[in-house]
Amino acid sequence: MKKIVSQTKKLLKGRTWLSLMILGVALLVELISAAQYYYTKSILEEELETRAASEIVTKAILVKGMLNTTEGVLNSHVDDLKQLIKEPQEIGDALESIVEANPYFNGLGLAFKPGYYDDEDDLFEPWAFNINNEIKVMKDIAKRGGHDYTTLNFYTQPIATGKPYWSDPYIDYDVTKKFITTYSIPLRDSRDSIAAVAGIDLSLSWLSDTLNNRHIYPSSFCLLLTDDGKLISQPASNHPRHCDFDDAIRLINDSTVHRRVVTNTKINVIEFKSEKDGEDACVFFHHMKGNPHWQVAVVCYDNEVFGQLDKMRFRILLLMILGFALLGYIIYRFFKNNNQLIRSETDRQRIEGELQVAQRIQSEMLPHASVDHSNIDIASTLVAAREVGGDIYDYFIRDDKLFFAIGDASGKGVPSALVMSVTHSLFRAIGSRESNPMRIMQLINHAVCQGNDSSMFVTFFIGVLDLPTGRMHYCNAGHDTPLIISDTASKLNVKPNLPLGVMEDWQYDGQEAQLQPNNIFLLYTDGLTEAMNSTRQQFGLTRVISQANANAGVSPQRLLDNVLREVHTFVGDAEQSDDLTMLAIKYMPTTETFILSREISITNDLRHVETVNDWVEEVCHKLSMSESNTSSMKLAVEEAVVNVINYAYPAGETGDISIEATATAMALKFKITDSGVSFAPTDAPDVDTSLSAEERRIGGLGIFLVRQLMDTINYERIDGKNVLTLTKLR
Amino acid sequence: METKISELDGKLVATLNGQLDTAAAVQVEKELKPLYDNEDKDIVIDCENMEYIASSGLRIMLGILKKAKQHGHTVTLTGLNDDIKNVFKMTGFINLFNFE
Repeated sequence: MKKIVSQTKKLLKGRTWLSLMILGVALLVELISAAQYYYTKSILEEELETRAASEIVTKAILVKGMLNTTEGVLNSHVDDLKQLIKEPQEIGDALESIVEANPYFNGLGLAFKPGYYDDEDDLFEPWAFNINNEIKVMKDIAKRGGHDYTTLNFYTQPIATGKPYWSDPYIDYDVTKKFITTYSIPLRDSRDSIAAVAGIDLSLSWLSDTLNNRHIYPSSFCLLLTDDGKLISQPASNHPRHCDFDDAIRLINDSTVHRRVVTNTKINVIEFKSEKDGEDACVFFHHMKGNPHWQVAVVCYDNEVFGQLDKMRFRILLLMILGFALLGYIIYRFFKNNNQLIRSETDRQRIEGELQVAQRIQSEMLPHASVDHSNIDIASTLVAAREVGGDIYDYFIRDDKLFFAIGDASGKGVPSALVMSVTHSLFRAIGSRESNPMRIMQLINHAVCQGNDSSMFVTFFIGVLDLPTGRMHYCNAGHDTPLIISDTASKLNVKPNLPLGVMEDWQYDGQEAQLQPNNIFLLYTDGLTEAMNSTRQQFGLTRVISQANANAGVSPQRLLDNVLREVHTFVGDAEQSDDLTMLAIKYMPTTETFILSREISITNDLRHVETVNDWVEEVCHKLSMSESNTSSMKLAVEEAVVNVINYAYPAGETGDISIEATATAMALKFKITDSGVSFAPTDAPDVDTSLSAEERRIGGLGIFLVRQLMDTINYERIDGKNVLTLTKLR
Repeated sequence: METKISELDGKLVATLNGQLDTAAAVQVEKELKPLYDNEDKDIVIDCENMEYIASSGLRIMLGILKKAKQHGHTVTLTGLNDDIKNVFKMTGFINLFNFE
């Protein structure tokens, strides 16, 4: 249960971490987006106010300019009109010509004080109109429809104040049926009393067109109001925001509604919601300077101002998410690649480490200590081209014989090292009980051929040097011919046979040679003869032989050092392409001074064993050996002799057995010689002393006991005789 | 080589005197036949006066031991001298027998 909980926690921990990270990134994205939104919005708001203010000012100037033009036109004709007061008959034509010259105005006229002219109507009001670019002059408007101008502001105000006056907008029902406003001024006659009011009509539909010609935002609209809030101009009734016109006017006129002043201006702003769709809107408004004190208002809608911002925010959000996703992916790839790099680096280090271990194992498999035998001196060298290689050499002493081998597996590196390790181990294992190089080679070949699907092969040379006699048995499996160096170097006579691993049932031939005292036997691999310099020239056997000749008589170590130095000089800076291995064995038998030498001969009859025992006892006593050692010698010789009696000759055949005892200051030796069939007791398998009574075989103990009791036993077949030598160091 | 077989306290006791070498082994093996044939008694081999033993002697000992074990009996060797005991050690026979 605990395990499940802890595993779940672990899992959650991983998941939680990821979730937290995603949440964090999401929050960050939202935060950035929101901050940007509000920052941009406040900028836009400021911008909106600035733009709205500038629009209002622009529109006001436009209106003002229009009004000024109107005023200017009228004022410029004041003197002309004054002159006309004297000649009422001329007024109509004069008005007509002025209106004709100023097509922007709807009409121009004079409203005389009632009864100013005696011969005219009481209400005399001559007026020229521009109706569809056609100028009409009317003198009797007052008569029509009871038009009493004396009640209208355009007339009463200038009369009352003596100053110009802009009328509130009104519809000219009488003539043009247009929405107009009239600018009127008092007109004084020559006696400087007000005779009439001159008025000029301005069409307001023109104003509306001009004011709503262009806007900062498509849905925005502009309103023109009188000082007391009556509508003067509005956009066409098909305007999409038509329904908000009245609302805006109502808000402007309702002084209880909260209004705000745009910073650094005299422009007011009121925020409201559209009746149509609840859209947030604001109305900016402003009184024009001077007379008339009209108001210009502009209405803007938030969605047009900030709608883009919302879209923009969404897009930025999307971009940021994409960006983070991309960043996340890049980081992920980076870490993944990095991990791969780290892993491949770790792998490389591991392989390197393993190769180093393999190299150590391989080099530890090679014999290092020089052999402990006075009859030989050995030197060896192995220069691997890589960490591990396919070359080996080996040597060991068993039963007074030097077993040695040199080999080269095909190929390089790990595969050949593995094959060579197998071969090497087989040599060690088989050589521990088999003394015949030919048979050792045969058995190794058999084992190497088994399952050799990779077609690897090994050139191998095995030699067994009998140390007392200098006789060398050897067997070559396709390896480079070794050299025997006396005064000069010569090639050993070898049959090439086949390399190991090529043909399972190949019969290897064994050969023999006799080493003379102080001969050096030199073995090498093709890494020596085929060592190449930078011009791809090989060192070659000739150079090896001439080096050997030049070094005749030196110690094996000196010989190898000198040859190796020569090779290095030859090769120079060229890369070593193959393992280079050399093994040099110098045979130098010691001359011995015997302090005792006895001999006895018997026939192959067990009854003679007691005679031999007595003889051994006598020898030992002569050498003043202890009873215990004497007993051991007796037992060893008896077992060896019994072995010969039992196996050397066919049953019923009588044969001779001679036993020779020699003693030096160093050792006591018994040499047992018979003429029977070739039989090497040294190849007998060891006895497993750890087995139980039931498992123990009866027999096989004799030679085992001899090995235990003596320091060395040595068997050699010499001239058709079995020679078994037992040595006990003294 | 002299051999003598007797019974003592329900055990079969063989006494060996002299040198048990290869030449003597054939005769000794014959004389110790009762030990091979024994099925109902533990065996004691008195080696007090045995001076020497060769591998053929060890073989006889091992043969007797194998038979005795088949019938669930022990073989005990007594009075071995140091040289002989050493031979038993070398061959691992020291692990097979009882010694007193």
